[in-house]
Amino acid sequence: MCLAIPSKVVAINDDIATIDVDGVRRKASLMLVEDVCVGDYVIVHAGYAISRIDADAAEETLALMHQVFQ
Amino acid sequence: MTQTRTIKISPITRIEGHAAIAIELDETGNVADSRVHFQAIRGFEKFVEGKPAEELPRIVTRICGICPWHHHLASNKAVDRCFGVTPPPAGQQLRELIHSIAHAEDKLLHFFFLAAADFVIGPDADYAVRNVIGVAKANPDLAKKVVQMRYKAKMMIEKFAGKAIHPVAAVTGGFAKAMTEEDRKWMLAEMREIYDFARFTMDFAKKDIFPKYMDAIASLGVINTGFIGTVDDHGALNLYDGKIRLMKSDGAYTDFDPGNYTDYIGEHVPSWSYGKFPYARFWNEGFSLDLEHPKGVYRSNTLARINVADHMATPAAQEELEEFRQAFGRPAQATLLYHYARLIEEVYACEHAIEMLEDPDITGSDVRAPVEPKAGRGVGCVEAPRGTLIHDYSTDENGMITRANMIVGTTHNLGPINMSVDQAARSLIRDGHVDEGILNKVEMAVRAYDP
Repeated sequence: MCLAIPSKVVAINDDIATIDVDGVRRKASLMLVEDVCVGDYVIVHAGYAISRIDADAAEETLALMHQVFQ
Repeated sequence: MTQTRTIKISPITRIEGHAAIAIELDETGNVADSRVHFQAIRGFEKFVEGKPAEELPRIVTRICGICPWHHHLASNKAVDRCFGVTPPPAGQQLRELIHSIAHAEDKLLHFFFLAAADFVIGPDADYAVRNVIGVAKANPDLAKKVVQMRYKAKMMIEKFAGKAIHPVAAVTGGFAKAMTEEDRKWMLAEMREIYDFARFTMDFAKKDIFPKYMDAIASLGVINTGFIGTVDDHGALNLYDGKIRLMKSDGAYTDFDPGNYTDYIGEHVPSWSYGKFPYARFWNEGFSLDLEHPKGVYRSNTLARINVADHMATPAAQEELEEFRQAFGRPAQATLLYHYARLIEEVYACEHAIEMLEDPDITGSDVRAPVEPKAGRGVGCVEAPRGTLIHDYSTDENGMITRANMIVGTTHNLGPINMSVDQAARSLIRDGHVDEGILNKVEMAVRAYDP
């Protein structure tokens, strides 16, 4: 469903990023976001990174999700 | 030897989250049953118990980052009601303005990036090109323009109201800051540009896209259900506030205050899913996803809102609604019409944002009413892009949450999505013949709902 989990960008090839969430890796298009680098966190929706978020916010959200879904 | 088999489509491309479709074929190779499984967010309601209510509008945005503003606002409305506070008019207007801009941004994203590949490239095209890169290659100028427009909407929210992803600008009792005259002027200019693009998109879709897919629109994923949406006192569609209207498939409807939602909407948990399936308790017919005789099933999101509304409150959107009704009637049941309805709402969201920005009262300095935490119950409801979003909280005398219940837009559509997939699978899969084009058409039926 429409959940948005912050994902860490671990590699970029052309406009496609490899993203990592708790060790699960997927691909996401970077077409909709500007200036994303390896190490950044992005919110991924339906195969597209739709926003870049700062690391503090991403880690806070991930910690919260781990508590909720534990 | 004959045997049954299960076809799995997982994860569904261009559909967010971890949805999976399972289609079971019987020994003759025809569809016996189809199910769509979604990741659920159960656990959240328990998690917030004991937390200060005023923190919830900030916490909820971290759970649902696709439409954080809509959760942020529904949550604020719920806390307002727990504490018995009414935001001053300028505070209300600012909340509603951001709500409209966020709607405008979301619909452009969905139409061009999630749905367009099906329409522009075509459902039978190879998966390698049937994606956004293919769309961009087929029409590079348009793709660039969409990215620009979406960025504009996002930056409007971010520059004026702060973080677009984890919003904090709405607060219990109103809004955290007033709008300056300078803000109003540049935002109005930006919004007019997005509106022009919305009109262009509507014309482009009506001329170059929808006519090619009339057969698919008339058949793919078509089911017969009721609908839910929010209307104002005059029956016009309202995305931010009003009465909830629950319409039966024959067009008869009942309006109710969101605070009484439990009298009208029940939540069913089927044995095969962790998700809650809301249904129309008020109709007193139980709950069944049977294709021929569904019971208690209604749909949310764009097509639903367009169907329940008597009219649109803005002129260009009203003209579009009239043209739509002339062609498809009311209520329109064809599932792919969600895309058409989405573009009518896009026009409305832009027009309404412009209206609000043209009103000088929006720069009023009184944006926040004083608040005192207290014991109470509050139901906050807005129309999120994916449907009627309900946050229902109870607080103790210190303003701590004692109980929370949430109905998220997409959950209204979980039952209907299952029905549309079953309908599409049954009509497309015959004698065991399945190919990529067929499976993509089944996905298209899901994608229309933008789950």
